[in-house]
Amino acid sequence: MSNKFGGWAGRILRINVTDRSIQNIPTEPYSERFIGGLGIAAKIAWDEINPHIGAFDPENKLIFATGPLTGTLAIGSGRMEIVGKSPRTFPKEVVTRSGMGGYWGTEIKYAGYDAVILEGEAKEPLYIWIERDKVNFFDAHDIWGQDTFSTQKRLKEKHGPNTQVICIGPAGENKCRIATIMSETSFTSGKSGFGAVMGAKKVKAIAVLGKGGSISVAHSKRLINLFSYYRDLMGYNPMREWTVGYLPADYHFRFFKKYRTGNASCFGCPVQCFAFIKVPGLDPSQVHCVNYYYMRPAYNYYGETLEGDQAFWEGVVLCNKLGLCSFEMTGMVPWLKDLFVAGLIDDKSSGLPLSQYGSREFIVDLLNSIAFRKKIGDVLAEGAARAAKILPGAWPFYEKYYPAHGQAEHNSVRDFPGIALLWAFDSRDPMIDHHAYRHLSVSRQRWPNPHRVDIDKAQAISEKIFGSRLAIDHTTYAEKPRAVVYCQNRSAMMNSLVLCDWLYPMFISQSREDRMGDTAAESKFLSAVTGIEVSEEELDQIGERIWNLLRSVMVREGRTRKEDTVHDSYFRKNRIGRGEEDEVQFHTVITSDQTNPIPHQIFEEAKETYYRIRGWDEKTGFPRREKLITLGLNEIAEQLNPVD
Amino acid sequence: MGLGFSEMNTRIRRSLVANPLACSGCRTCETACALIKTGHIFPEMARLHIDRDPFEGGFVPNVCHQCSIPYCLNGCPVGAIGICEKNGVVNIDQKKCIGCGSCRKACPYEMIIFDEEQKKSFKCDLCGGNPLCVKVCPMHALGISYFGKKELQ
Repeated sequence: MSNKFGGWAGRILRINVTDRSIQNIPTEPYSERFIGGLGIAAKIAWDEINPHIGAFDPENKLIFATGPLTGTLAIGSGRMEIVGKSPRTFPKEVVTRSGMGGYWGTEIKYAGYDAVILEGEAKEPLYIWIERDKVNFFDAHDIWGQDTFSTQKRLKEKHGPNTQVICIGPAGENKCRIATIMSETSFTSGKSGFGAVMGAKKVKAIAVLGKGGSISVAHSKRLINLFSYYRDLMGYNPMREWTVGYLPADYHFRFFKKYRTGNASCFGCPVQCFAFIKVPGLDPSQVHCVNYYYMRPAYNYYGETLEGDQAFWEGVVLCNKLGLCSFEMTGMVPWLKDLFVAGLIDDKSSGLPLSQYGSREFIVDLLNSIAFRKKIGDVLAEGAARAAKILPGAWPFYEKYYPAHGQAEHNSVRDFPGIALLWAFDSRDPMIDHHAYRHLSVSRQRWPNPHRVDIDKAQAISEKIFGSRLAIDHTTYAEKPRAVVYCQNRSAMMNSLVLCDWLYPMFISQSREDRMGDTAAESKFLSAVTGIEVSEEELDQIGERIWNLLRSVMVREGRTRKEDTVHDSYFRKNRIGRGEEDEVQFHTVITSDQTNPIPHQIFEEAKETYYRIRGWDEKTGFPRREKLITLGLNEIAEQLNPVD
Repeated sequence: MGLGFSEMNTRIRRSLVANPLACSGCRTCETACALIKTGHIFPEMARLHIDRDPFEGGFVPNVCHQCSIPYCLNGCPVGAIGICEKNGVVNIDQKKCIGCGSCRKACPYEMIIFDEEQKKSFKCDLCGGNPLCVKVCPMHALGISYFGKKELQ
């Protein structure tokens, strides 16, 4: 399927850092059933990652996978997926995924590879240099210990300014479970802690130059026309103006006015969702939503002053430079304050200036202590979930900010039934690749005019896509399982192409009066690029296949129906230590009442409906044998040996 | 082909203009250009290039200025480069081009692309006057400017 058609580079690069060997394998056996990206990475994970190994074992692998649309003119195609055993997922280390935008995925396609499989464990720190067919291993002692910015600058100096680098910072080297893989200033694979896996393998960076390489396209004119058509249909996305920040909103805009120099974006994207910010005295960086985690505490501490701006900005840049996950900080920072207020930790025992919460000293000390594992940072580097089990009395406060999987709350699972179900069935924070459902059901109904999608229009879209207006109604669990199945299948497919979930599925058009989007966009782009005519329905089925494969991977690692849930306290009315205004969680600030309990009985019934629609066993949550065979996953059905 | 030296700037001329302050370095223009010129995603062959400095936020589109007195035209030993009478664009006549690379050496902006396979030089032809890169740029960082004799516009 690969070389004969456009889109795919046709081969996968296997790099073993133990004996510094490389191997090229064809993409075709994988791409026939799983397209690319998440799909082929999940298949490789199924074939090659033993369910019983740990994330830091040399046997663990990291699969960096692009898809047939990566780096083409398809809108939002600047992404890639990384799959491997994650050190961050809680309570167990499981195989999961983590996306990454930017330019590295495109460059590896130019270099002639659809995916890179990183395996083994080096004795000494090294970095990998890929220039088309040449793959070299270089000693990395001189960059080991350096932050991500200077590492990349060094490698770009050495190998040319167009070199694209993914690298880890000190946090990854010290195997912090919340360490990220970084590219440029703020393109991040964060949610699964893969930076720590690279650190365990002693791989500091992978630098790529695809000079002279190309990606073939079957129907170039058609692709250009599709690009124009879907960009116009999508319409103007005001994200580029807002690049969402924390309240108070007017402060956020004044901050932009003072320090913003322009926008930045992933490869070939019309949305341009990053703002580029230069604050005096600190490194510039691009910034987007989650990076703003320290804006409000700093604002409360300093008021609207240069010191306040610098304190907040230090939190942004230091996270990026050390290779720490900003999203974890959205939960961890207020959680630490709660622990301090409750008297469970203090300045002396923690070694952090907790009494000066909101100050620049606090955030600098916190991030450095985590990245270099000093004092309490050694515990926090395990991630808030594991730290909450270690620190006495910390767990109840932890649940306030973390609904499940050891990942900080991303949209209120209490208030939005569909989002609660997405959280329950996933192995990590699902909202990172299900933004489209949130846009339709929550966010865009709250946008100011002329951008707003009115509720009646949103319901009409819901009716067309999910077959019911109730699918986006937050007062009931009815119709949610069906919507969740649809969104998961689409997300798995989209992550295999690889496109950005911010834009796909294209539920909403900002340019049309009725706001009706076009969910066939992915299939049309894929047909134009590869030359294989694929319909929307066929792609949906491939998505279902990939999601079932992912579920099979989870089941093999011990996932059952019992784990398809969120933490207990979300089923109870009151949160412990109801927060001050500045502790209101990321993205959940939009509802006034934070204490809606999830109705347990109804939640469990919705789960059963979900398993029925999926064709999975209702008692165990395992994919049924016949379902896997229907989807063409025969070997998975054989090996998984599920209940019949 | 084309205009003589004396006519160069008395006729309608047009060129791409780029605003580096608006550019976000997303490379959509490069991709689209390469796609329409070669049929593939082949950024080396794009007729314009983006210099990216992601650590300083400096993104600079390098475009062909369609110089009023073109260095490439003057550098060509076989007279393959001329200015189109119709749209005032500096063009390379591929039939005449011998692939010697003189124009590439002459151009101070490095806007001549050399195709190793075909052994020919290529440059921005403004897509005949209505360039795709301008249409696809999400930041409106690219545009067309006109110069030369006004009444002939």
